[in-house]
Amino acid sequence: MNPAVGIAAVAAVSVATAVIGFFGLRISRTTGDFYVASRTVPPWWNASAIGGEYLSAASFLGVAGLILLSGTDALWYPVGYTAGYLMLLLFVAAPLRRSGAYTIPDFTEARLESRAVRRVTSVAVVIVGWLYIVPQLHGAALTIRTTTGLPAWTGSTAVVVVVCLTVVAGGMRSITFVQAFQYWLKLTALAVPLIFILLVLADDGSPALEAAATNPGGAGPASPYQSISLLVALLFGTLGLPHVLVRFYTNPDGHSARRTTLIVLGLLSVFYLFPTAYGLAGRLFAPDLARTGQADALVLLLPGRLVGGPAGELLSALVVAGAFAAFLSTTSGLVVSLAGVISQDVLGGSVRGFRVAALVSITVPLGLALMTDSLALAGSVGLVFAFTASTICPVLLLGIWWRGLTDAGAIAGMVTGGLLCGGAMVAGTVLGVAGTPPWLAQPAAWTVPAAFTVMVLTSRATSSRVPRTITRVMTRLHTPERPLATER
Amino acid sequence: MTRVRVTAPRSAARPTAEPRDSAEESAVGQVFVRSLIRSQLRLALVVAGGFLLILGAFPLLLGAIPGLAQTRFAGIPFDWILLGAGIYPVTGISAWLYIRSAARNEARYRDLAGDKVMLR
Repeated sequence: MNPAVGIAAVAAVSVATAVIGFFGLRISRTTGDFYVASRTVPPWWNASAIGGEYLSAASFLGVAGLILLSGTDALWYPVGYTAGYLMLLLFVAAPLRRSGAYTIPDFTEARLESRAVRRVTSVAVVIVGWLYIVPQLHGAALTIRTTTGLPAWTGSTAVVVVVCLTVVAGGMRSITFVQAFQYWLKLTALAVPLIFILLVLADDGSPALEAAATNPGGAGPASPYQSISLLVALLFGTLGLPHVLVRFYTNPDGHSARRTTLIVLGLLSVFYLFPTAYGLAGRLFAPDLARTGQADALVLLLPGRLVGGPAGELLSALVVAGAFAAFLSTTSGLVVSLAGVISQDVLGGSVRGFRVAALVSITVPLGLALMTDSLALAGSVGLVFAFTASTICPVLLLGIWWRGLTDAGAIAGMVTGGLLCGGAMVAGTVLGVAGTPPWLAQPAAWTVPAAFTVMVLTSRATSSRVPRTITRVMTRLHTPERPLATER
Repeated sequence: MTRVRVTAPRSAARPTAEPRDSAEESAVGQVFVRSLIRSQLRLALVVAGGFLLILGAFPLLLGAIPGLAQTRFAGIPFDWILLGAGIYPVTGISAWLYIRSAARNEARYRDLAGDKVMLR
């Protein structure tokens, strides 16, 4: 495609993001505004923002790419990404909002009365955030290389610069507007080209759908273990993602946190129909991308291929814009939540500290992204979910629902889960895709139960350490907050 | 002139002056709270279990009935429809049912705890 079109699309999204970010700055006044928009964002805005933040490079590019490679086996990815929100709703949304904490480390410290737990949680949150930003920057590099022919590093660097400008300037309030805008941009960027593709295909007559059953890249079918382990990672990983959880503090109360989650589920369900359709169309009309290792670029290339001429160019520009919206929104969401954690723990929680922390939280993943090369986007994000499910998820679930959790148990469980899952990830990188056995490639099925088991057993063994405030904290987490008189 | 530095609360889980504070002060209040937590947890587990059962049933269904996966609806194979689109409504309905029941549990708690406040 014409490089100028791609560059124009990237520039347009970046400018729109920055403008909305600066517009939001005007109403961002206090530290409370800066961190979580003073908890006054209405559910629809908030839900669009959560959707915008959550739909990352993995969802926008990676899901269609994996479906191209492995067909119906890859459908578990969008299903798991969505169902993870159901688990979040069932077990975490309202109690976490009622805890009144700003960040996950705030929550664990308040629940377990322990600075040590806070520090371990902070480390886990920062690792998750950094690991999650890297695939976003890889996605940006891929997009720039594929659509403009510029060197790949310009893509990652462009994302980092725009994110720094918006986050450092506006904090969460402007981020909320930016994210909500970007959800709808992403949806449009996939929906409009797909409609044109379907119109073109309708003219050409019925496609040969038999081809959909065979994997063009020669990938074998996934074993039941792999599918189940992947689902464990996605279902339990979502409820520990720092950038997702920080959003729940922007709801006014626990009930609206639940309503927001319900809307998010609807928004995600609508969104994921589109990458699925692109993946299916890709198996029929662009199987060569699977053979040349360009599967992740399927969404970017398909509109130009199937709808030729100037219309094809415009549609490609729209898709590129949507892809950049995905990288920008997820990265800025992660940077905000990481900066919140780092600035409160290290820099004393001031606005200035927040800005410094934001710069720190994006520079490290930029370095990692420039040093490494992109694997399958959805796959590498799936591993981050496995890590979250093995570290943050157990401490949240047991902290909210089990009075017996102790600080020693929480630390032991998080360290165990982190070491096991991190070890599996390192081993997988060293051994390469072909040399990694399935139990190492998808570790969640055994690392998550291991983390839970260690956490429960250690807490049992140290039951004298259950904090004295447990009754008060549990009451606060689970009882509705509205005054009695206004209800009913 | 003094300069005031505005900072975020370090540990925010500090109870505010709300009616729920009264519930934790008495043994009776704690009975209500514990029963609320138990019923919310039971509800969450039931909904999650039901959802996972349906989720697991989808691939089993496709495997159990030969030819079903290849059956076409509007030209699209049925396994793509079921796994690619059919699971989302199940997710939405589970979430909606959960929210309704969770709010009902809370309303019941509020009635009980409210009565107790009246007695004091």
